[in-house]
Amino acid sequence: MTFDFTAREFLAALFMLGGAIFFLASAIGMMRLPDFYSRIHASGNSETLGCMLSFIGLMIYEGATLTTVKMALVFIIVFLANPIGSHILSKAAYKSGHKVWTLQDLKKEEDEDADLHH
Amino acid sequence: MVAPIAVADNLFRRKVVTVEKQSVLHDKSIVGSPVVHLVGMAVVLFAFWMILSGRTEVKFIVYGILTSVVTSWITYPLLLVPNKDGSKKFFVFGISLPKLLKYSLWLLWQLVLANIDVAKATTSQELDIDPKVVRFYFRSENPMAAVVLADSITLTPGTVTINVTDDGLFEIHALTKGAAAGVLDGSMQEQVAKLFGEKLDFAVAEGEG
Repeated sequence: MTFDFTAREFLAALFMLGGAIFFLASAIGMMRLPDFYSRIHASGNSETLGCMLSFIGLMIYEGATLTTVKMALVFIIVFLANPIGSHILSKAAYKSGHKVWTLQDLKKEEDEDADLHH
Repeated sequence: MVAPIAVADNLFRRKVVTVEKQSVLHDKSIVGSPVVHLVGMAVVLFAFWMILSGRTEVKFIVYGILTSVVTSWITYPLLLVPNKDGSKKFFVFGISLPKLLKYSLWLLWQLVLANIDVAKATTSQELDIDPKVVRFYFRSENPMAAVVLADSITLTPGTVTINVTDDGLFEIHALTKGAAAGVLDGSMQEQVAKLFGEKLDFAVAEGEG
């Protein structure tokens, strides 16, 4: 078995794999978390590290060119814009009176379910 | 830093965008030197131009210098935010670069730690979460400090700034126990206060979950 890739490509792939794992964790969180506010954490925020690792991987793969600097700029803009999106969504939900789900609600739901089975 | 809407619409209520009759260069209420701000902004814009264009012919460089100078001159009055009583004006990007770099590195490290924490909590067999709203007060003379703090908290995984009021009450939705404790221990508030060279004015507010 031969390996026809350089050490740099291997390192880049490693970083991108790490990024993909965090994106996957983010997607899993999106499916599993109970309410709107917690899902915002999954959709908006868990991506930050995934995005960071993916971009580092891409920058290593590209090497020292102008494209790398442009990628760094895109990465910075994502970092500045991402929290604003999350904040606007959560603020809109909060102002329109969306209730925050807590562990007490979980207990209540479980009690109600227990009643149903009787 | 780009302003989150919570703070931005508060600023607009205080009428930030007022047309000055006197030149901004002679405005004594601006903190720092307007000339330094203008030159710094033009240099950053020109660097951005060069990165995007990547061409070094004289024609393009001259275009770049002209557009960056004109852009910074036109937008400078719009990038001044007044403090609460309106006696001082702060330049939005008037943060010292070494301090900003130090803060960014610290924030990146916090991001990595918090993200691993949240990824663990959401992918573990039993969802290890405790979502609730935590509240604290953070007051600063420079309105940008509130913006940077709200932005940093939202950027950190596990915490989202839901609301910021005029009197400096921050309402944060925290996903896990660790995230809630991380917001309330005041380390990020301390770093932000240090970044803007202000005294830390921070208090945890009591509130229901």
